[in-house]
Amino acid sequence: MDESRPIPYWRLLAGVNRTQNWRRLKLAVSQSRLHAFLMGLFVVGYAWLAFGLFHKGLQFTSSFPGLGPVLIERMMFLLFAFLFLLLLLSNVIINFTNLFRNRETHFLLTLPVPHKVVYRWKIFESGILASWAFLFLIAPLVIAYGTTHNAPWHFYLVTPVFVALFVVLPGVLGSWAALGLARWLDRLAFQIAAMLVVVLVIVSISSWLQPETVTDEMLETRVLDVVDRLLARTRFSLFPYLPSFWVSSGLTLWVEGAVMGTFFFGLVLLSHTLFFGYIAATKSGGLFFASLSAVNSRGGGGAWGFWKRGSGAGQAAFQPKLLDRLAKWFWWGRADSRALIVKDIRTFWRDTTQWGQSLILLGLLVAYIMNLRYFSHRLTSDFWIDLTSYLNLGACALNLATLTTRFVFPQISLEGKRVWIVGMAPLGMRRVLLTKFLFSTAVSMTVTMILVGTSCTMLSVSIDRIIYFTVTVGVMSFTLNALAVGLGAVYPNFREENPSKIVSGFGGTLCLVLSFLYIVGMVTLMAMTSRWAFGGSSTMAFWAGWVLFLGVSFLLGWLPLRAGIRRMATLEV
Amino acid sequence: MIEIEGLTKCFGDLTAVDNISLTVPKGEFFVILGPNAAGKTTTIKVMSGLMKATSGRVRICGIDTEANPLEARKRMAYVPDFPFLYDKLTPTEFFRFTGQLFGMEEAAIQCEAEVLAERFSLGEFLSKSIEGLSHGTKQRVAIVSALMHAPEVFVLDEPMVGLDPHHARVLKDILRERADEGMTVFVSTHQLSVAEEMADRIGIMNHGKLAAVGSHEELQATNRDNKLESIFLSLTQNADG
Repeated sequence: MDESRPIPYWRLLAGVNRTQNWRRLKLAVSQSRLHAFLMGLFVVGYAWLAFGLFHKGLQFTSSFPGLGPVLIERMMFLLFAFLFLLLLLSNVIINFTNLFRNRETHFLLTLPVPHKVVYRWKIFESGILASWAFLFLIAPLVIAYGTTHNAPWHFYLVTPVFVALFVVLPGVLGSWAALGLARWLDRLAFQIAAMLVVVLVIVSISSWLQPETVTDEMLETRVLDVVDRLLARTRFSLFPYLPSFWVSSGLTLWVEGAVMGTFFFGLVLLSHTLFFGYIAATKSGGLFFASLSAVNSRGGGGAWGFWKRGSGAGQAAFQPKLLDRLAKWFWWGRADSRALIVKDIRTFWRDTTQWGQSLILLGLLVAYIMNLRYFSHRLTSDFWIDLTSYLNLGACALNLATLTTRFVFPQISLEGKRVWIVGMAPLGMRRVLLTKFLFSTAVSMTVTMILVGTSCTMLSVSIDRIIYFTVTVGVMSFTLNALAVGLGAVYPNFREENPSKIVSGFGGTLCLVLSFLYIVGMVTLMAMTSRWAFGGSSTMAFWAGWVLFLGVSFLLGWLPLRAGIRRMATLEV
Repeated sequence: MIEIEGLTKCFGDLTAVDNISLTVPKGEFFVILGPNAAGKTTTIKVMSGLMKATSGRVRICGIDTEANPLEARKRMAYVPDFPFLYDKLTPTEFFRFTGQLFGMEEAAIQCEAEVLAERFSLGEFLSKSIEGLSHGTKQRVAIVSALMHAPEVFVLDEPMVGLDPHHARVLKDILRERADEGMTVFVSTHQLSVAEEMADRIGIMNHGKLAAVGSHEELQATNRDNKLESIFLSLTQNADG
């Protein structure tokens, strides 16, 4: 052993992880060419379609003299402001998992690798995981912005540099937030804090999204004043201390040819990235180990012990808890099925990462519904009301598909190495599958029907159409849950314990693609055969549309579910 | 050499390790026994730097693990009951990676890994992906990677789990040889036979405390029955009662 020679930790870690990921990719391609093809098609298709749509949209907006450029510039500032927020959230969640729940982290800490190197490596890895999808999603928009403004070729070289510097900041801040959360909050405290934050965000959004009263006279005589008032709500994106402001300013100035301005904002961004990056890379290793030790040392009681009534030793531990008592209300259901459901709820409740993602989704849904309330005030034409109501059905169903793919599809895989417990029990795997299907359908159908009912009410749609949309989404709930449970059983992944990774496999991708195709197809069908919308179809066409909808829904749900039940019967783990 | 001084580790209200002090000299084969949740693994995790002690200190070869963790970890190796391995690497690639992290030269890595791999009958698996190996084979890969850099202190948590009788024998022989050469071996196990056969000294933990420490003969002297099992049961069950 040569003590004087410095050990290239970074190169070694990068090398070993690069080899791992490359082999994973090769294996995935060789195992399922169809999956690789679908993924490739999605990547190219999205990039092409999104660029086309953004380009058209920006061209349309820029055709308004005076107003167009103002709106587009503000959109760029908003884009990067929200990107910053989303990257921050994403980095907090991924850093938490990667720093404190990752086996490689624990392994490296037993080797002579300095804490700061482990921390540095893990936040680098988390930063990539947290950012790549967002960057992929916004890339067509930024390119469309460049082409709409006839930006010089070097705009497309400068932009990646700005974005690369920019993503470091939410990465570092997200990792520090994760350290703080891990250090000071246990699971229950985190859940309570997260719920409070979501409530706070919802209240803030509802008070922030107040409608602007605009009269026809004002629109004719004081256009600039009206635009200024409407844009006032987006002024936060112009806050000069936001990193997103530096990126947006730099890029918009570059397009305008103000190179010195871009240079200035580039240096502002670079100096902050270097400053925070340096502190993270050199001074945060100790904090990381203190937080890790706090997580590993956490007991069952602590400051939040008073919430945990009913816990205890001996006989006290067997006292039925709230969930057990609630389950007894469903006395008509079989005891073994109830036990399975109670287990699933507890597992979900105690997994902070699952919780965090559900809360983000819930927050987005509430923000969406609140937006609809004000949106409907501005809809005067029947065409737009009809179109919005069907788009709303599509949006709610797509949300449902996200939920079923993300949370229902991995259910069988998550039983993983523990599948023998339920598999060997007298209830049998067939009933396990059906119980999971019925439970997830009941929960998601309730949530989605409430969501559709509320959003239709916000859109001031008549009661018969509210019932129509609610029943439609109810049928879709059955299909999407059956599809997710069935494909989850046909394509299980018992090796993986991370649900996000299970979903990203072939079965999960197929489930998502089929769900999306089904939703797009069925919403289009329902809109085209509607009795009310778009001029109205004949009664015959209406019922024919319904029969076709029910037939497709039944087949798309029943076939995968049946295949899943058969797969369960011959399951080998 | 391992020196543990007044080590206490609490998890919230629970005291998992309660003020234990222990010195394991250089070249000693020390086996720690104890019922489930006695605090063995927690002690090991504090020793190997995975968590901070609530109070007290641990020194590895005279180096404080909390004050100077890097220097301490350079001198030791730790193999947990379910070791982490990079599943898409081959054992050879994994050996090279861990060897380089310990600052070993390529030639030394190759030489040490070859000898140890041969003793653990890993030859046919060296170029295969780790994910396809059985639990016992993975355990052997982890042990080889830990022994390669000739640690001064070797800590193992339930090392015999998953090993077949032949490779359990090989491991015992290697650990004995290395201990004779000066390596300090600290093994946590539930297998009393390992302690009886291999240990220079045995420690019995119960409820976070060291209930007894001594050689097999010294422990026997404290009990009418000569069997280690009886000694273990009397120490752990009397305390429970």
